[in-house]
This record gives sequence, structure tokens and C-alpha cells, in this order.
Amino acid sequence: MIAGSVYGVVLNDGAERAALASAFEAAPYQRPPVAPVMYIKPRGCIAPHGSTVVLAGDAATVEVAATIGLLFRHDANRVTASRALDTVGAACLALDVSVPHDSYYRPPVRHRARDGFLPLGAFGPFDETLFEREIVTFTDDREVHRWSCTRLASSAADLIAEISSFMTLRAGDLLLIGLPDDAPRIGAGTQVRATLDGLPPADARFVAEAVA
Amino acid sequence: MKRALVQHSGRPIWAEVREADSILLLPGGEMIAFDDTAWLPPTTQGATIFALGLNYADHVKELGFKAKEPPLIFLKGPNTLIGHRQETPRPADANQMHPECELVAVIGRPARRVRAEDALDHVAGYTVANDYAIREYLENYYRPNLRVKNRDATTPLGPWLVDAADIADPQALDLTTRVNGCIVQAGSTADMILGVADLIAYLSETMTLLPGDMILTGTPKGVHFCNVGDVVECEIASVGRLVNRIVADPAA
Repeated sequence: MIAGSVYGVVLNDGAERAALASAFEAAPYQRPPVAPVMYIKPRGCIAPHGSTVVLAGDAATVEVAATIGLLFRHDANRVTASRALDTVGAACLALDVSVPHDSYYRPPVRHRARDGFLPLGAFGPFDETLFEREIVTFTDDREVHRWSCTRLASSAADLIAEISSFMTLRAGDLLLIGLPDDAPRIGAGTQVRATLDGLPPADARFVAEAVA
Repeated sequence: MKRALVQHSGRPIWAEVREADSILLLPGGEMIAFDDTAWLPPTTQGATIFALGLNYADHVKELGFKAKEPPLIFLKGPNTLIGHRQETPRPADANQMHPECELVAVIGRPARRVRAEDALDHVAGYTVANDYAIREYLENYYRPNLRVKNRDATTPLGPWLVDAADIADPQALDLTTRVNGCIVQAGSTADMILGVADLIAYLSETMTLLPGDMILTGTPKGVHFCNVGDVVECEIASVGRLVNRIVADPAA
């Protein structure tokens, strides 16, 4: 369902950045981040709406962060912020699953890149008003989280401009534009749904690994 | 057997390397000489690209780190890859850009929780990567960060894939990097902290490795900063010699 690469950004929640300001000055970070702090979700993570995600090994509890994914229709290479959103062709809701981790020092491959750890809703048309609407997360039909991209430290347009200053976001790539720092944590046996007015929902069921 | 991905008649096509590494045989029987070949990185679309940092004890010491437990793994996008005899852009402010010669293992069949002793059965073949780094752009967040390791065209790969059956022991291969003919890196895959089999076992604990997925297994010591115009050759014995040239980044 995604022909290209999936990139995501952490530390793009404005309140989270403010709260971590003193930590950014201390070891091992030494200074605040300059470039967007990015990660990659490889193809094995991508799961369609309605998937079952198996929580195996040390992933008894996972963080499920609902966000917006932007699908590129044109290559974004050194675009200005004012032209950046012209490169976006569609959007979807994403459930970015990770094993909770406190350190941002080393790449989070083992925490963020596991089989099925990126359920995606179906794509809908992109429209900038999506950034103003609330992304609501439900577990077992109960609302547990609500946020909007107005919380982002770097807007989607600024992010695309900054990232495209050092690498191409290619047509067919997907960019997850930021995660809320207060995303819910869940365990096996939970049904999760994210909604946003204007996009199809993203659902996933989290189950424990079957014991052989 | 060695197989190369080349651009031919307007499309990528896999060819067999023949005649003592001088001729490519296309599936229809047509032959092309190396000098007439447009080399592409020998990859499968969509493949996951794992890479290792600090996986050679001598390089860890050189950079002033202690050996990592657990291993330092990062991911790369396909925008980074270019083929043999292509050009890598060097930004004007990149005074600390250095090549990193690496053995690449390419997965041939799905691997999920495989044991190290069985892991090499999941390897289709091997190739060579030059995983350039630009140290000025390092930041201490998800380090090595994408601004260092995910730049367009900064990871030459190739020239070809060598079948796993033709490599008796992936942990006994000499690696050499030459810049303008002078040796700047000389090591052996025997010095990897985690070898190919261990890496497949470790990665497959949490991710299913699929055919085409690649593991760039890290680089030995020898940090040499490169300039525009440098010709950089990364060679791994029995696998291949990957040639690349550094050019000025036209936009930076």
C-alpha cells in the first residue's frame, strides 16, 4: 500500500520540547536538536486498517501514537515552506506503535521497527484544515486521547522544507509529521481506533503472542 | 555467480557477470561490456536497509567509544543508494566526509527468530557498500541521525551481488578502501563484533527479514576525510571493488 519509504519525526510536540529543554542541554545530548529528529518505519511495520498487531517478547506494553501521514505526489527536494505542501498528494491516519523508551540518543530501531507496528487508515484527500482538527484515539470504544497538529513545534510545511534541505522526500514516500508526548500506552487484548474528521479511521487490535 | 542490476533499454534489468568480470549477459542473450554499462545499485524495490554503527572493535576504539551492548543499528532509505562508478555530492561545508567500506548481506528467504547457527541459510548473497558519513552533521539524537546517514546518493552499492554459495566464510574477507589510489582503510570482516549470522539472529528477533532486505555490517577503522574530485574505491575480497567519485554538491 506504500510504494516508497516511511519517515517519522519525534520531539515535534511543542509542549514536549519545552518540558525537555533542560534535558537537551545535558548529557548525552549537550544541545537542543537542530535538524528534525527522524526515524524510519520499514515495510514490515506497515499494516492495513483493521489489522491485528501481535505484542511479542518485551513488548507487553506499547505506546500507540495517532498521527497524520502525508503521502508525497512529487519529490520534495530543497522546497521552501511556502511550496512544501504542493508536494503532498494524500493523507491518512496512522497508529505509530513503539515500545516505550526514554532515551533519544541511539536510533530506535528495536523500539519502533517491529512487524505490524504501523497500522494505517485508508488514504483520503489532503487538505490543510486536517492540521487543525482533533485526532481522537479510542481504546475499546472509550476515548483516551485527543490532540491536534496545532501542537507541533514545526508545522508540516516547515518540516518538509527542513527535511528536504538534506534529503529527498520522494513521490510515494510517507511522512508521519509528529507524535504527541502523552500518547496512550496499551497492552494485549485492546482494540484501538483513531479518528479525524475528513479522513478514514485507523483501527488495530493488539493481541498477545500465541504460546506454542 | 555474480548478478548486476543495470539500466538497459530504458529499464532496470538483472544481468549475469561473465568473462572474468568484463562482460554482462542479459536474459535474452545480449552481451554488454563493462565500459558500456550503466550500473544501478543491486537492490530490490522496497527492501529494508539495516546498517550497523561501531561494529568493528578497532573502529570503536578509534572513535573513542566503548563497544556497544546492544548493537547500534540504524535504517536507511533507498534515496541514499547509487550504483558502481557513480558520483556522490559533497556539500561545501562537509570538511569531515569520510568513506566507510562495508560488507552487505542480502537476505534470500524470510527470517524470523532464526538461530545464529542457521542464519547464513537465509542469505542470498553479498555486495559492497560505501556508507559515507559527514561528521559535521552528527547530532546526539537518534545518532547517527538522518542528516548524516540518509542523504541522497551518499551510499554507493555494488557493483553486483555475489551468491552466498560462492563465499565460503563471510567472516574471513579483507576490506580495503583506497582514495586516489592510497589505502585509507584496511581491515577484515573477522574483526566484526557481531558477524553476519549474529546480526540476522538479532534483527530477526523483532522483525521478519524478507528477501532483498540488506544488512550493512559496519566498517573497520580508518577515518579519512575526502575532497571534491577524490576517487574512492571500496574493495572486499571475493565480493567486488566498488568505485565512486566525489563531486561538489551543486546546491550547497
